[in-house]
Amino acid sequence: MSTLSRHGVVASEWTKLSSVRSTWWTALAGLLVMAASAGQLAIYAANDNTNDDPTDDRGIVTVGSVLIDSVELTQYVVLALGLLAITAEFTSGTIRTTLQCTPSRGRVLLAKAAVAGAVTFALGLLLGGVGALVARPVLGEWGSAPAADTIGDIVAVAAYLALVGVLALGLGAALRSAVLTLTVLLATLMIVPLSLQQPDIDVLNRIADGFPGVAGGHFLAGDTEPYPPVVGLLVLAGWAGAALLLGRAALRRRDA
Amino acid sequence: MITLRGLTKRFGSTVAVDALTVDIAPGRVTGFLGPNGAGKSTTMRMVLGLDRPTAGQALVGGRAYRELRRPLHEVGALLDARAIHPARSGRAHLRAMAHSNGIPIRRVDEVLDTVGLDGRAAGKPGRTLSLGMGQRLGIAGALLGDPPVLMFDEPVNGLDPDGVRWVRHLMRSLADEGRTVFVSSHLMSEMQLTADQLVVIGRGRLLADAPIGDVIARGTVAVRVRSPHPDGLAALAARLSAAGADVEAADRNELTVTGVTADQVGDLAHELGVRLHELSAQAASLEQAFMELTADSVEYAGGAAR
Repeated sequence: MSTLSRHGVVASEWTKLSSVRSTWWTALAGLLVMAASAGQLAIYAANDNTNDDPTDDRGIVTVGSVLIDSVELTQYVVLALGLLAITAEFTSGTIRTTLQCTPSRGRVLLAKAAVAGAVTFALGLLLGGVGALVARPVLGEWGSAPAADTIGDIVAVAAYLALVGVLALGLGAALRSAVLTLTVLLATLMIVPLSLQQPDIDVLNRIADGFPGVAGGHFLAGDTEPYPPVVGLLVLAGWAGAALLLGRAALRRRDA
Repeated sequence: MITLRGLTKRFGSTVAVDALTVDIAPGRVTGFLGPNGAGKSTTMRMVLGLDRPTAGQALVGGRAYRELRRPLHEVGALLDARAIHPARSGRAHLRAMAHSNGIPIRRVDEVLDTVGLDGRAAGKPGRTLSLGMGQRLGIAGALLGDPPVLMFDEPVNGLDPDGVRWVRHLMRSLADEGRTVFVSSHLMSEMQLTADQLVVIGRGRLLADAPIGDVIARGTVAVRVRSPHPDGLAALAARLSAAGADVEAADRNELTVTGVTADQVGDLAHELGVRLHELSAQAASLEQAFMELTADSVEYAGGAAR
């Protein structure tokens, strides 16, 4: 019964997410931003390259690297899915119905995380595929797309987006307001770590490496410094998990 | 059965619900009355585990709501008819509720049918629903799990007369099936027609918990007196006042008297030789009883605060 009811709560959350048009518009917006961003970055990469001497490093870029750079912008569209899954409940007052149906706050949030994570992962795969299809022909002779690496990069992009989506969900549950949550996310994913990295002081760079966006970036780029890629993934996952715990604590403590 | 034991809710220094101890029994319609801000909705939210009590407890069938695994089978509630996502259809709203409690999806169409929402209305996005349709949808949600306990917060708000009558019959039949039905309303006439038992609160405190007949009987009964002779009527009024009755002159030919019975007024008129065209005891009303009950509570609370 326990498993069954958990499935039920997940099915319930999927019904809620899939029954509003904004979910599908957001996904479409993500696709457009990804296509535009990958196209533009691919044009830059191709235009920058003027070195025709084949004995040099000719500066050929992989399609995967274009994808990864495109995620920087695209993620803000995708994380809206995780964000809206909870903040729309507060705005419309349906959170009371949700908690009436499932009084366990942790169960509600876990089900939402499962749905938001799965949806953003699947969307991430789609975005990666679309980005690769756009970037490859634009890069032309300046690009390469080794199949295994490209697929690996697409899966990594999907994993990154899923974790950022869950991070947005957890923060949304804690903060309730979509605007406030988006502001905090922008600060955590971009503004604060960028400011820390600006002066290029070792200590500050180390701190920035602990932020979710930077850690996720190291994971996507496959960096071996300052830590192996898998650590970058774990740091990002840790942020997502912490956000969920924070959200659950807020849902338990505060009146709905 | 809903059990409230010393249920208390404070928001900062404001006491919204004050040590409420009541049992709401199955098999009858219990009306929940109180002036605006008396704490009715807060009480209902605490029963549903949405607000945390500052002290005391609210139990449904002997258990705290937050401990229930599939609560829609235990308690159905309509709190706020406007609480639906603006872009989600009523049917999807109910489907999501059904999934969460393992309720078969065909039950959604059953309850939609029960509340009289047709396929077209149930497919419309939430923002386009009228308040009345929202109420029907909320009631459908409450009925979804076929629960033994039902709570409705102001269910007839926004309903047309037909809808009001339908809700009245629904409450009655749910209670007749042996369920606990707890309904808040500020419409006294409606309550008088629907409820068997009344729980009245004012400023969060329990003012009355009694069969509706007892509550109404507590209210003052007025006596109307009409006479074609204004002078005789004036003399009667003077004697009644002297006897301690409360007399109000509606016009030169009519008095409204409280504090004495119609028999006493008749005897006195006979004694004074005043010819009467009407002597009638006015039917007691819940509204009158309610005003008196809550007026006392407001005065009492005001005095205590000073």
